[in-house]
Amino acid sequence: MSRLTGIVDWLDSRTGIRTARKHLLDEPIPAGVGWWFVTGSVLILLLTVQLVTGIFLSMYYVPSPESAYDSVRYIMERVTFGRVLRGLHFFGASFIVIAAVIHMLRVVALGSYKKPREVTWITGVVLLLVILGFALSGYLLPWDQKAYWATTVSINIAKSGPMGKWVSGLMMGGTTLGSLTLLRWYTAHVFLLPGALISFVVAHLYLMRRHGISGALKPVAGEDKPFYPYHAFKDTVVCAAVFAVLITFAIVFRPPLDAVADPTDSTYVPRPEWYFLSLFQMLKYFPGPLEPVATMVIPGLVVGLLLLLPFLDSHPDRHPFTRPLVTGGFAIIGTAICVLTYLGYKDTPAHADPSRWTPMAIAGHEFSRDERCVTCHTQGGVANPISNIKMTHGPEWLIAHARDPQVIAPGTRTPPEGAFSESAGRSIVSYMAKVRTGAAYPSISNEARTASLVIGRYCASCHMIEGEGGMAGPDLTHEGAKHDAKWLKEWIADPSTVDPAANMPPFGDRLSADELTQLSSYLASRK
Amino acid sequence: MHSSSGDTGRRRFLARVITAIHAAIAATLGVILGGTVLSPLFGKQEENWLPAGTLANLPEHDPLPVTLRVAREDGYNEIIERRSIFLVRSGESGVIAIDSTCTHLGCRVSWDVDEQLIKCPCHGGIYDRMGTVKSGPPPAPLARLTTKVEGDQILVQV
Repeated sequence: MSRLTGIVDWLDSRTGIRTARKHLLDEPIPAGVGWWFVTGSVLILLLTVQLVTGIFLSMYYVPSPESAYDSVRYIMERVTFGRVLRGLHFFGASFIVIAAVIHMLRVVALGSYKKPREVTWITGVVLLLVILGFALSGYLLPWDQKAYWATTVSINIAKSGPMGKWVSGLMMGGTTLGSLTLLRWYTAHVFLLPGALISFVVAHLYLMRRHGISGALKPVAGEDKPFYPYHAFKDTVVCAAVFAVLITFAIVFRPPLDAVADPTDSTYVPRPEWYFLSLFQMLKYFPGPLEPVATMVIPGLVVGLLLLLPFLDSHPDRHPFTRPLVTGGFAIIGTAICVLTYLGYKDTPAHADPSRWTPMAIAGHEFSRDERCVTCHTQGGVANPISNIKMTHGPEWLIAHARDPQVIAPGTRTPPEGAFSESAGRSIVSYMAKVRTGAAYPSISNEARTASLVIGRYCASCHMIEGEGGMAGPDLTHEGAKHDAKWLKEWIADPSTVDPAANMPPFGDRLSADELTQLSSYLASRK
Repeated sequence: MHSSSGDTGRRRFLARVITAIHAAIAATLGVILGGTVLSPLFGKQEENWLPAGTLANLPEHDPLPVTLRVAREDGYNEIIERRSIFLVRSGESGVIAIDSTCTHLGCRVSWDVDEQLIKCPCHGGIYDRMGTVKSGPPPAPLARLTTKVEGDQILVQV
């Protein structure tokens, strides 16, 4: 013990560590500072968790379109506690947005932004914007469908504003969303924004200490008490409760990871994360040339009003009921954001489960076992087994390669006699995407297997099913709701017998009787 | 400001609770973060049997250099790795497989037909045809891989 004291004495003589500790922890806190004043500490805890989990995620994450998705999946499935680590980071982002808003509302309700704390407030508003910047930039990093398409929308919003072409070009690092976009958003997320965050947190805390805590609305009788351990106890208890809820979320819920980003998928309906849903929903009420009102004017006004709040409301009275304009204004804006978020949430379509095996993926699984594939794609062969392979090429290249393995550039020659059809090639790509999500091959009926093979070989050339396939014919996803098996069998065998004006070719001569029966029955079961 | 013994006791109690809670949060995070950092050390590599040649083509005395293509997990990535081994006849129908990585500093060894020895080009390590150290700095014989023979086919576990 005496040796430890000696070491601390020596350190103190060289660094002044005891004085610094005393200065940091012994701040006198006036009587009446209650539990509402813990919100800032909760934010510090959550930001620290984000910072630490972010650093550890970066040991495995790779910011490139070819690798980002696989590296995130690797974290989730192969790294010990990786799912919890990503869960802490993913859910922590939402916790921070909520905590930041609660902290801001507490400051507004108790008028803590007033003289002499105007600059403290402004640094707080900047911190809120930095936190939203983190949320936006972090969203793209997993490079899944949701990330890709939500970012496409964000960039298009930027495009509609003043100097939109330049701003969107700056955000994308060019004219298309790709490798350079991902790298630049990654750089912002892990270097620029953390730098800004740390700087403004330090400034915010320095100013908070400089002016002291704003305290209760009216002075409360009683002596000042040091921050540590009296107020620090309240901070610690609430921080522990918030951390317990966060870790429970991270353990119980799996952080989402959609299918890998597919820029060619025209069926995906993008939706942002919940904290941007209100902005997204507002776009619907300002169509066409009015769009900048929703994307620039209203958000710009809200941020401007927030920054100017201490100057617009400079009267020293802090009670919320004596400031009806500010209290009412926040209530109206808050209600509007809640209502818009709710409407946006209600309007969000249910996304297809990325691990669900579609008919084309099932067909692709069968096609990929063809001798034409496994000759090379085998353990110890010249290429990895298809079930292990990563899609480092785009879907169009992969389809061309599946049809004609010797082709170097898609479209340079017609696939040879007996090659896979285009829809069969597309099925193999669908299968590869499914394998990439880590979804295990399901146990399926013989009917579903036979029907999937026919769909993959023929139908998907023109028809869409579960979001995959061509767009020349009607969508077959819910075909059973329109026609029964008997009608479908007649129609597929020879459409002209049902409708002389039909423009679909007959398949009666290309399918066996068994295939025709099973396909009709399968489609009829899709209600 | 707070000099009574009751207040000192309360301060001490609160300080202990604060320390305990902070320690619990730090320990929870520490376990998760430690697990993620140490994770690659616990990873188990999947092992496969690859065909490496046939008994009919295996020389009577000389080691046969064979290059295997092994699909291997490399973090999030799947790579195809070339792995050079020697197949050596041992006994009537037995075969042993020797890894071609020098046990000194990891250079690739090769078979010297004239001297009938396996030699390392880096620091002069010398092994006999069965991979046993004859001279030089290698601290251990060349590593062996598990083999089995099915019919005429030689399979090596990688």
